[in-house]
Amino acid sequence: MKNKFKIIILLSIFYFLFSLQASATSLNLVSQTNEIDIGSQFQVDLMLDAEGEDINAIEGSIIFPKNLLEIKEIYTGSSIIKFWVERPQMNAEIKFSGVIPGGFSGVLSPYYKGGRQGKVFSLIFAAKTEGVGNVAIKNAKVLLNDGQGTEADVRISNFQFLISNQIPSSTFQAPSSKDTNPPELFTPEIARDPDIFNDKWFLVFAAQDKDSGVDYYEIAEKRGSNITQNYAELRWQAAESPYLLEDQKLKSYTYVRVIDKAGNTRIVYLPPTVPWYKKWPVYILVGLGLVVVLLLIRWLWRKSKSQKNLF
Amino acid sequence: MLKRIFNLQLLKKNNGIFGILFFPVLLSTFYFLLSNSVFADTGNITLTVTVSASAVCGNGVIDTGEQCDGSNLGGATCVTRGNTGGTLSCSNCSYNETGCTSGGGGGGGGGGGGGGGAIVPSGTTVIFSGRAYPKSSVTLLKDAQVAASSVAGPDSNFSITLGNLSAGSYIFSVYSEDKEGRRSSLFSFTVSVTAGVTTNVGGIFIAPTIAVDKSEVKKGDNLAIFGQSAPSSDITISVNSDEEFFAKTKSDGGGVYLYNFDTTPVDYGDHNAKSKASLAGALSSFSSAVSFKVGTQNITAPKLVKKVLKGEVNNDGRVNLIDFSIAAYWYNRTSPPAKVDLNGDGKVNLIDFSIMAYYWTG
Repeated sequence: MKNKFKIIILLSIFYFLFSLQASATSLNLVSQTNEIDIGSQFQVDLMLDAEGEDINAIEGSIIFPKNLLEIKEIYTGSSIIKFWVERPQMNAEIKFSGVIPGGFSGVLSPYYKGGRQGKVFSLIFAAKTEGVGNVAIKNAKVLLNDGQGTEADVRISNFQFLISNQIPSSTFQAPSSKDTNPPELFTPEIARDPDIFNDKWFLVFAAQDKDSGVDYYEIAEKRGSNITQNYAELRWQAAESPYLLEDQKLKSYTYVRVIDKAGNTRIVYLPPTVPWYKKWPVYILVGLGLVVVLLLIRWLWRKSKSQKNLF
Repeated sequence: MLKRIFNLQLLKKNNGIFGILFFPVLLSTFYFLLSNSVFADTGNITLTVTVSASAVCGNGVIDTGEQCDGSNLGGATCVTRGNTGGTLSCSNCSYNETGCTSGGGGGGGGGGGGGGGAIVPSGTTVIFSGRAYPKSSVTLLKDAQVAASSVAGPDSNFSITLGNLSAGSYIFSVYSEDKEGRRSSLFSFTVSVTAGVTTNVGGIFIAPTIAVDKSEVKKGDNLAIFGQSAPSSDITISVNSDEEFFAKTKSDGGGVYLYNFDTTPVDYGDHNAKSKASLAGALSSFSSAVSFKVGTQNITAPKLVKKVLKGEVNNDGRVNLIDFSIAAYWYNRTSPPAKVDLNGDGKVNLIDFSIMAYYWTG
């Protein structure tokens, strides 16, 4: 009887802890298939399920068996992460870190009720050889949108797979193959701050691409009174935000080119910064001010003259 | 009595697995009910997301949600679009400004397609509607950057239309400023936008603004808690102390509310208050919190001084991409300046970015 009571208590604790886990947010690695033919490519999505919480920052890393899988591409298109602190790169361990300003509590749609999980990014793998393995999430952190960076309970769901030559090969279409849209229009901004780049002018920028995602940025600076339409003549340099501007006098047109994973591009530019004393409204104001002063002097002079005449 | 309620006889040997599972199931059910009742407190804000119209791109007619259609540009030119010259064209029923010669941020780039007589999905539009404050400015952020603004009507209702979007998930946020210049908390939601249709997001109810008349109030005196919301709203004020106090009042025809809170039952020390509004079945989220101290004297709160937000690194009154970029520069670097180390732990890490994301203004 005593032993049975102990079992009941243990089961109660287990159930209680399980119930607690059920209310946590979750990071899930999901794929349409977990049985893959050798040589085939397949997609694994990292999804965040807020499960009633309001989330605004996540980080972690993805590991996979390198003897079985080769990472071919990472897509961040339509990610719920709006600004990457650490953009996922194709390394042996794929680290990621990013924020969702305002918070995320589920994706709404006209086609279903409630909020669904949101995509963080997609991984494209190629199956190298036969075997069983799993793609796993490591060191995951999910922070609440509470102004204090409180860590949320997070449940992890890894992706298990089987690679075999017995499985019929499937045709996989990468997201980039369907992407014909350029990244969305964006607005870079010039700023300076004593705590970075020795108070020199720098440029910040962040573009969004809903299909395959942003791949990289390039920047070109060119002095002149007109913008160029011949973008090929510009001296483009790979860049990341924040970018230290070469022309610290801000007399150049600054062009920012963003390229998505499918090779579509978008170019935006900022015109040279015109000093305040060269702006035409300033000329008009100064001119008007001079006229007013002259009229005032004339009025005072006439007044004093008329007073002298009285005496 | 307790024995009778839980019927411990169930645990006797003869009841087998049912008896063994009774307590765990009971405990889990209890916890489940408890946790659901907690969620119910915060989960009453209901947004309605619908698709209202579907336009046909390629028929030469500018339908709802389209900027142009084929050669029909609706009278727009590069100049009317803010450029100095060039040829404006139409791509996927959205303006294509790559042929324009100047402007404040030119478009460009590959991809696109569309036109060519084929029937393709039109430009994608989202219409946002809801309540703010009478005649207040409403700002809409798209993916954390300012995308549009509008002014609410005298009844506090507003509507903002955002066109020329791609299909995909967007994080939209809205905030408003009351007649005294106080900014509301940010209200964010993620919407999956479908190509070629107009998506309506209705039922947005921006949280009230809130302020207090004293930064320190003498225990036993009244503290005026006030702000603005939609006209004739029911306002619930929550004062956080060791014990939480709730008060209810109503906003007037101009949306202004005032509640004189008796501080007698509140302990000495620091406290904060926040408010939320309800009207015709719609419920706002809670406002940002305003702090005050219960002490031995009355000190008048300063009249709307410029409040430096946490995360406002470059001191320009906004928390946006510039602040994020400065903080990102110091990510994982040693000896960061105090202004980017928001939790004061000597390093810039994810917690600092989370704090910044909470105070985001775009």
